[in-house]
Amino acid sequence: MLKILIPTLLLIPTSWLAKAKWLWPTTLLHSFIMTLFSLAWLKNTSETNWSTLNPYIATDPLSSPLLTLTCWLLPLMILASQDHLAQDPLVRQRIYITLLVTLQLSLIMAFAATELTMFYVMFETTLIPTLILITRWGNQMERLNAGTYFLFYTLATSLPLLITLLALQNKTGTLSLLIIQLLGPIPISPSVNIIWWTTSLLAFLVKMPLYGVHLWLPKAHVEAPIAGSMSLAAVLLKLGGYGMMRMMLILSPLAKELCYPFIILALWGVLMTSSICLRQTDLKSLIAYSSVSHMVLVAAAILIQTPWGLTGALILMIAHGLTSSALFCLPNTNYERTHSRTMILTRGSQMILPLMATWWLITCLANLALPPLPNLMGELIIISALLGWSTWTIIFTGAGALITRTYSLYMYLMTQRGPVPNHMISMNPSTSREHLLLTLHLLPLLLLVFKPTTIWGSAY
Amino acid sequence: MECPEGVLLLLSFTAIFFSCEHTVPELEAQLAAMRKKAADALPGSSWSPFDINPNLPPERADIVIIGGGVMGWSIAYWLKQKERVREGVKVIVVERDLTYSQASTVLSAGGIRQQFSLPENIHLSLASADFMRNINEHLGVLNEDPVDLQFNQSGYLFLASEEVAHIMEENYSTQRQVGAKVTLLSPTQLKEKFPWINTDGVALASYGLENEGWFDPWSLLNAFRRKAMSMGVIQCCGEVTDFKYTVSMMTSPGGDPVVYKRINSVKVQMPKGLEYQMVECAIVVNAAGAFSGKLAEMLGISSNPKDTIAGTPVPVEPRKRYIYVVHCPDGPGLDTPFLIDYSGMYFRREGLGGNYITGASPKEADEPDTSNLEVDHQFFEDSVWPRLAYRVPAFEKLKVTSAWAGFYDYNTFDQNGIIGDHPVINNMYFATGFSGHGLQQSPAAGRAVAELILDGNFKTLDMRGLGFRRIMAQEPILERNIL
Repeated sequence: MLKILIPTLLLIPTSWLAKAKWLWPTTLLHSFIMTLFSLAWLKNTSETNWSTLNPYIATDPLSSPLLTLTCWLLPLMILASQDHLAQDPLVRQRIYITLLVTLQLSLIMAFAATELTMFYVMFETTLIPTLILITRWGNQMERLNAGTYFLFYTLATSLPLLITLLALQNKTGTLSLLIIQLLGPIPISPSVNIIWWTTSLLAFLVKMPLYGVHLWLPKAHVEAPIAGSMSLAAVLLKLGGYGMMRMMLILSPLAKELCYPFIILALWGVLMTSSICLRQTDLKSLIAYSSVSHMVLVAAAILIQTPWGLTGALILMIAHGLTSSALFCLPNTNYERTHSRTMILTRGSQMILPLMATWWLITCLANLALPPLPNLMGELIIISALLGWSTWTIIFTGAGALITRTYSLYMYLMTQRGPVPNHMISMNPSTSREHLLLTLHLLPLLLLVFKPTTIWGSAY
Repeated sequence: MECPEGVLLLLSFTAIFFSCEHTVPELEAQLAAMRKKAADALPGSSWSPFDINPNLPPERADIVIIGGGVMGWSIAYWLKQKERVREGVKVIVVERDLTYSQASTVLSAGGIRQQFSLPENIHLSLASADFMRNINEHLGVLNEDPVDLQFNQSGYLFLASEEVAHIMEENYSTQRQVGAKVTLLSPTQLKEKFPWINTDGVALASYGLENEGWFDPWSLLNAFRRKAMSMGVIQCCGEVTDFKYTVSMMTSPGGDPVVYKRINSVKVQMPKGLEYQMVECAIVVNAAGAFSGKLAEMLGISSNPKDTIAGTPVPVEPRKRYIYVVHCPDGPGLDTPFLIDYSGMYFRREGLGGNYITGASPKEADEPDTSNLEVDHQFFEDSVWPRLAYRVPAFEKLKVTSAWAGFYDYNTFDQNGIIGDHPVINNMYFATGFSGHGLQQSPAAGRAVAELILDGNFKTLDMRGLGFRRIMAQEPILERNIL
């Protein structure tokens, strides 16, 4: 673990000491090398499931795909931000990279934490660089509003989580995940059962997000710069899912009745957010709502606490992370050329940028869960698990899946097909940087088709 | 047992209650203030800790329309009308003078005619007349007063001398073909219809029977503005002083270097101040009227050699025209059309009190100075009155009550509007250069530009003939009926 953490930490001095001409290539190469090392985590050799074990940090089949995803995203974020930061002064570019690296560090430590306290502290730490990214480098006045929503939604629900963790420490004497999973049901007085359950999970449900508390997400995603959107969509949402999966081990006996309202909210969320996608005018907003609709499915799957549910949740989280991040990169390529995210004004790009249209096609197909990509595998396993929980869920998940495919195709057809507007006829051709960025998003997705067991988690 | 204390208490409470009635409005005011304070503090209010000038335009918009005259607001209205979902495009209109003291729109005589020689012009005016006849269907806002354009459909009357009578006949057949309701009158018919005309020298007259006349330009502008703002267009009072654009150098198939420019953001300067805002935008629409040429020069077009594609200038410059209001109690009656003489003089009735508006186009050589809007009364004495009195003898006795001057957005190339996108500036659309007939064509021209932007092509009326191609190819399409 240290062989990844120390290089990540030292990326900060690298970004400050590198010469101006070599800043971006150096940080890119450095982070790529770390990514290659992080692939080693995917091999789990231990029988107890915990590898690279030390008292503070460990990986297991649940966290290692998420860790690898996190490490994979840093070079992609650096690659994506190169263009729009080129006009900024050098110091600001260095600060930007430092923020990305700080975010990366806190994310790695959050996913790898063995103690719930460290997980909580790192969970909160990720808020700070993300907030700075959104409010400082976002594009519009609304970014202040977006930052406020993002910060306070998460804080309001995670402070009760802190209290719960402290109370848990008091009751059980430990917060180490390694030990807690072996404890029996926690003796909590029945009068605070519900509060206990809610406060432990609400922070993660808001982060996921769950349908009723999802308002921060479209704002934050739309106003964030590209690296902010990528990390938010790909990794920060998964923090919530991961936290839920860990916390629910402790809360097991209560879950059977208390999860009911949240599963209903999640199922309605699939339908509602997918329908909202069909009426969006801003491309980034459409992708943000699409993120919500996939993640509420993950939330529902985790809440039903079956082995298939947890497996499906993890697969969909990884697949969605890659797809969503690619989906944010694509309109960003358009935005850097036309300075507009409105769907009406950026149409017919297939005629002008044909290779980019290929990436659009593959990414939209991934988003609509085309077999054999892991997106479909995740969705299918979740839908089957929910079906086992109750037959009626098929109405929601089926209709939601249908609308998901509709808006994904709608997004593809609106942006790629149709008459080319006059103001887009002469645009700069796609750079190889953009092609590399999208290839690196889609290549893992395609490779996962061949070895899906890497992301099946501990249930395999 | 009655308790006197209880009665006392009851009495005192009643007293307090009645005395409170005097302070209830104050309490209500305080309560309203508290409620407003609470609403400001809650999320969803527009309070922000940063004390930014609220008049600044937003930092980014999809479409920036430069020029808040009738053309700019018409384009804004049609863009909002054609977006398929609510808030589909973010449109802002930048106007530097909200009193419109120099804008061509409000200083116009307000006439609308279909008697042009170019079919595109006829189509535009016909569609605009149709729009204005059903204005409340288009521009009516719920709960607001209906729009009243005061559209007097009294028609236009063009008089032609022997030399130009054949042109008038050709124009007449074109107009009838396109669908304008025009009729030709011989001098005797003319005298019969309008006995106050002196038909000496008139060989032929062309009279519009329907959809021609005059209306109030200020009402049209305000109607467009009110409707567009109710649909979400943001109005910004400021002046565009600069553009930030990216340049890409390419070579044409013939081997000449072509420099494409793409506007990234527009610098909007606040009036009477140093504050400015760079508005990042995808599309810019140049509807700046008489000042469009100067605006386009900020993009460095004129620095390129004239005969290259990149050097295609925007040949629009301001030309000053005078309008005089005269009072003549024995003048022509209420059915006076908008009369245009072959000598270039025109007049029309204004109101019901015997007032008329008149003017004339100066010769090319005597164009007045365009640095201000001062009126030259000598021009009336020298050029307008003699022709007016010759044509209508009753006008020998009249009194000039007032006069004003306005700019034409004069297209020096061929005096017809330019609608379309520029060949080398990728994302700038133009709707300018109408040379005096912009107001009457504004609804249809706005729709044409909106179709070009949102649909990629003209859908209802084909205005490709009015694009930049004719300027690049140096093929003027001359209108033979320009005032």
